[in-house]
Amino acid sequence: MSELFPLKQVMGFALSIILTIIAAGVYFLDGISFPIIMTILLVTAFIQAGLQLVVFMHAGETDDKSAIYTNIYYALIIALVTIFGTLLCMIWGYL
Amino acid sequence: MKVDQSLPLEYSTEQNKNNILGFWVFLGAEIMLFGTLFAAYFVLADRTGSGPTGVEIFQITPVLIETFILLTSSFTIGLGINAMRKGNLKAMITFYVITLLLGLSFLGVEIYEFVHYAHIGAAITVSAFTSTLLTTLGTHGAHVTFGLVWGILIVYQLIKRGLTPETANKSFIFSLYWHFLDVVWIFIFSFVYLKGMI
Amino acid sequence: MDYFERFAIPHPSPAIYASMVAIGFTVIALIFVLTYFKLWGYLWREWLTTVDHKKIGIMYLISAIVMLFRGGADAIMMRAQMAVPNNTLLDAQHYNEIFTTHGTVMIIFMAMPFIMAFMNFIVPLQIGARDVAFPRLNALSFWLFFMGAMLLNISFVIGGSPDAGWTNYFPLADNEFSPSVGTNYYLFALQISGLGTLMTGINMIVTILRMRAPGMTLMKMPMFTWSAFIANVIIVFAFPVLTVALTMGTFDRLFATKFFTTTDGGMDMLWANFFWVWGHPEVYILILPAFGIYSEIISTFSKRNLYGYKSMVGSMVIISFLSFLVWTHHFFTMGQGALTNSIFSITTMAIAVPTGVKIFNWLFTLWKGNIEFTTPMLYSMLFIPTFTIGGVTGVMLGMSAADYQYHNTMFLVAHFHMVIIPGVVFAMLAGLHYYWPKMFGFMLNEKIGKITAWVIAIGTLLTFMPMFFSGLDGQARRMYTYTESTGFGIWNMISFIGAIGFTIGFMLIVYNVYYSIRYSPRNIGMDPWDARTLEWATPNPVPFYNFAKQPHVNSVETFWDSKNNGHELFPEPYEDIHMPSNSGMPFILACIFFAWGFSFVFSMWIPAILSTIGIFICMALRSLEKDPGYYVTVKEIKETEKKLRGVQ
Repeated sequence: MSELFPLKQVMGFALSIILTIIAAGVYFLDGISFPIIMTILLVTAFIQAGLQLVVFMHAGETDDKSAIYTNIYYALIIALVTIFGTLLCMIWGYL
Repeated sequence: MKVDQSLPLEYSTEQNKNNILGFWVFLGAEIMLFGTLFAAYFVLADRTGSGPTGVEIFQITPVLIETFILLTSSFTIGLGINAMRKGNLKAMITFYVITLLLGLSFLGVEIYEFVHYAHIGAAITVSAFTSTLLTTLGTHGAHVTFGLVWGILIVYQLIKRGLTPETANKSFIFSLYWHFLDVVWIFIFSFVYLKGMI
Repeated sequence: MDYFERFAIPHPSPAIYASMVAIGFTVIALIFVLTYFKLWGYLWREWLTTVDHKKIGIMYLISAIVMLFRGGADAIMMRAQMAVPNNTLLDAQHYNEIFTTHGTVMIIFMAMPFIMAFMNFIVPLQIGARDVAFPRLNALSFWLFFMGAMLLNISFVIGGSPDAGWTNYFPLADNEFSPSVGTNYYLFALQISGLGTLMTGINMIVTILRMRAPGMTLMKMPMFTWSAFIANVIIVFAFPVLTVALTMGTFDRLFATKFFTTTDGGMDMLWANFFWVWGHPEVYILILPAFGIYSEIISTFSKRNLYGYKSMVGSMVIISFLSFLVWTHHFFTMGQGALTNSIFSITTMAIAVPTGVKIFNWLFTLWKGNIEFTTPMLYSMLFIPTFTIGGVTGVMLGMSAADYQYHNTMFLVAHFHMVIIPGVVFAMLAGLHYYWPKMFGFMLNEKIGKITAWVIAIGTLLTFMPMFFSGLDGQARRMYTYTESTGFGIWNMISFIGAIGFTIGFMLIVYNVYYSIRYSPRNIGMDPWDARTLEWATPNPVPFYNFAKQPHVNSVETFWDSKNNGHELFPEPYEDIHMPSNSGMPFILACIFFAWGFSFVFSMWIPAILSTIGIFICMALRSLEKDPGYYVTVKEIKETEKKLRGVQ
């Protein structure tokens, strides 16, 4: 039975549950300032995403490893540029 | 077709490797798709017009249920791939069926949520905020629905044809898709719900 | 009958009725010819169901040329209307419809398929592959593009053309200000063809990353393949933005959501924002493969290897990033603060640097080269100075403070035409002449080709240079007429004369094709240009399996090395070749997509739901289907090769 539940994936699952609980903590705990909340959410979300990528999605196991990681990083960078650039144009930098 | 025995079944032919890399590139495009939806959401989140705001309509309980269901389904499909690599078809199918059932219950909760929103005056046509909220959630939900149909077809093929390079390849790609939906949900959970509730 | 009233044209005119009749006759004639010559089976077997990248490339090419004439006819009508003050040839509504269709057709349905044609035809040959990574997906991409194009093109006879500009800005494009179904056509046509483009993007990336011949490392890829690769990377990350924006626009129009409305919190500027987040990278999607074609041509006809290969690659990688960082320069005047505009001004200036690097690389390739002035080379040489005029005016527009003066004037129109026409259209025509022998087995006439190149280049300058001046004098774009006292008359008259020059140029191309089909010699061998890259190592016409034996690559110019430096291109023995089977599924699925788009355009919900179900059934059938392909045996290969290459 244990070969059907490899330690790495069980640990990954446990970690993702813990990270979710930490993130949900910002709702249940009062008195945390907004910048700290955003920091907590950003850190937990990106660790979780990385966890899925490496532990569950086996992103780094073939010869195409570099292509796959480049693709994901590129997409992330462009997506973040789009999100923050849009906010800059439409809200922060708008007169 | 040349089959390379030294690699896991899902990578064993050139076409299989192409398929997997192609799907990763597609996921890159999906990141951009959801990135754009998030950009729209962040711009429009405070533009509620005469409709309700996020704090007024979000409920923590269904959101937490959805999150834990989806996290668990991501775990079980990971176990499914593990079973596939061990050559244990029966365990693999079991894990896949569990995953799909979890996906179905996720969808059930989400439909409840949507009906609830419509009930309390937050339908998609009310304001820019509700439009962008329900479109973002709806796009994710549509992906899950699509995944359910796709998953059923794959389980059917696994039962019918067993583990071949093709079915293993399809199952692996489906698992990538499912994990990706989990990742997207984590961002929705953090930056739509939690950020919107405080 | 009420049900069918929705299909009526809201602003009919004799010209539109004449078009209806013409379309009707053309369809009848087509059906008659196909039936009379018993060509239906041939059409279905050889073209509609093909998954061969070369045939798909040729279908893209034909569609692009047809659309070029469609968009060109629109352009001529616009120039004719503007030629004299207070002209009444077209009214305001028709003028709106025509400039909208002109822009949409030229960018999405002419320039895109033109580059797709070359990418499809050339890239697998250049990297020594038998086909693309996903042949059937490739066919689907083409048919989705084709159905999208058809959907847009029937709009002017069924229900009304889009009339909110090719940028389709909200709130103008909202139901309130654009009540006809035209804008729905725009949204669905772009959505459907955009899906196809995204699939091509994924397909090409995987093809280039995984299917190169042995020995061809990334830095030994020919420049056109590099440019296609970078362009497809941009496609994959830019097109999802368009998908989302179009979906939101569609929801606003059909389901009364509030994304881009001016009430209930909606933000019309967000459309412009997303449109250009896609739109600016789109410019580079078009221009980079064009640059790739120039690189091949300039290097071939200078008899030199391309100067600065690494800096060429580097500049394209930088462009692929920077192209996503500049979009705000399309709406500097929308109301952002000075800081925001300055940031995007700087990134805009920065993107001129890698582009300049490429121009200098071409010039250095020419330097001390053994230059041969063929038609493709002539286009390339005409491109450099003309494009530079467009480029430097772009830098002027990129300065946000100055842009308040130029914004939405004819100066802008002149700028982007002076970039796109030399940059993309000249490249496509150059590529057409250059690759024609590979595609069709004979050459286009050089003499007519060179005259055409000069006519088109002079036409370009004559049409668009005056717009710089009238734009600086204050002529706004998209005005359908003007008074005599403005003084724009003379500039617009010169433009009209230039447009006639253009028309003559394109007529000459048609004549050249006709002339060459009749008189051009057919025994030109496989390498008429004495070229340098792998695609010329295939016989004419290229057999369906491309390469009889697996080529081995030693350098960027492996074919040149095999001709002159003793490199052995095909060291391996013959082997059975695995090929993909044809399939009617892509065509059928795309037809259902057409019905799907058409139903949504007219808000016909029952057909919309049925076609949605049809789409999913097709996908399910595809999932369940076993598609192992087939093998070409060594015996068949040897026979085919003997036929094509003669006795060897």
